[in-house]
Amino acid sequence: MKQAGIKVLIVDDEVALANTLAQRLKMRDLQVETAYNGEEALSRLKQEEPDVMVLDLRMPGMQGMDVLKEVKKTHPHIQVIILTGHGTDKEEEEAKILGGFCFLKKPAEIETLAAKIKGAFSEKCAKTP
Amino acid sequence: MHSNDRHEQELKLLQLHLIGKILAGFTHEAKNYLAIINESVGLMGDMVQMGKSSEKDLSEYLQIIRSVEDQIKRANEQFRALNRFVHRMDSELSSFNLNESIEELIALLTRFANQKKIALIKNFQEDLPSLYSNPSLLQFIVFSVLDEGLLKLEKDSRITIQTAGVDQAVQIKIIPEGNVLEQESDVPSVPHEIVERTIKQLHGNIVREGGGETLIVLPLTAS
Repeated sequence: MKQAGIKVLIVDDEVALANTLAQRLKMRDLQVETAYNGEEALSRLKQEEPDVMVLDLRMPGMQGMDVLKEVKKTHPHIQVIILTGHGTDKEEEEAKILGGFCFLKKPAEIETLAAKIKGAFSEKCAKTP
Repeated sequence: MHSNDRHEQELKLLQLHLIGKILAGFTHEAKNYLAIINESVGLMGDMVQMGKSSEKDLSEYLQIIRSVEDQIKRANEQFRALNRFVHRMDSELSSFNLNESIEELIALLTRFANQKKIALIKNFQEDLPSLYSNPSLLQFIVFSVLDEGLLKLEKDSRITIQTAGVDQAVQIKIIPEGNVLEQESDVPSVPHEIVERTIKQLHGNIVREGGGETLIVLPLTAS
């Protein structure tokens, strides 16, 4: 599997965090874009569909869980990794039910995140003909 | 149980709710600052490993360091507000600055307001005389009014908090501006009767005016 082909969209209202994460993942040969709120993320999907979305839960306006619901409804092939600073067990369970790929807590090790992104991409490839 | 005892018990529970809510917001913010610092330090590590040391790279290192300093500064402001907030409970009555006590409450509630895209606007009269009262109870009263506003208002609204001095008293006016939700997302966390009894304990008064405005008047000395 060619890792350089994996398209990732990071969705986080903490601009500094989203940008730094994007830079580090790019150094690991991933194609990374950023969106700073839920509405922007959904609008990006109309232009280009990422393979994997890395999604924060608590954001101003549209919350991460609502973004996950919408993504799974309109773009079910996109794999969604939740990356949150404050996730509860209940939210982890909800994300799983809604079809989230996995649930990570901030701060996450970059190598763990990169490995999860690759795992999510493999799952997407296995599910899509 | 005597009604005063019941009120005290309910009040303590609601104050615990306020503390819990503030701590939940605080820890979330703190985790964000740590995550940004963690990624920034990690990025510099990645750059060192890749042998990046050109003039352009050095400028990028400096930019990352500035970002880390900025996060530490933001975290420090939150820690300071939380520390001052918890120490308000050290003694029942004390002399304090009204604007500072509201300012720290706003700093700790801003995350919740941001979540709903509601701006908290301060319009404070400078040079207010010091109050001799119970700052912790006053913060509880202001919290209860702000919390209700945050529940009732639609996103992209604002709540203005005004302070002013009047004869041997100070007043706090809380003015919500924006569309009210047709159905509240939650019930107010503090019942009005508890707020009214609490303000009486401070010998003050609360008036809920038309248009959702709330006026709180407190004497300079509560004892």
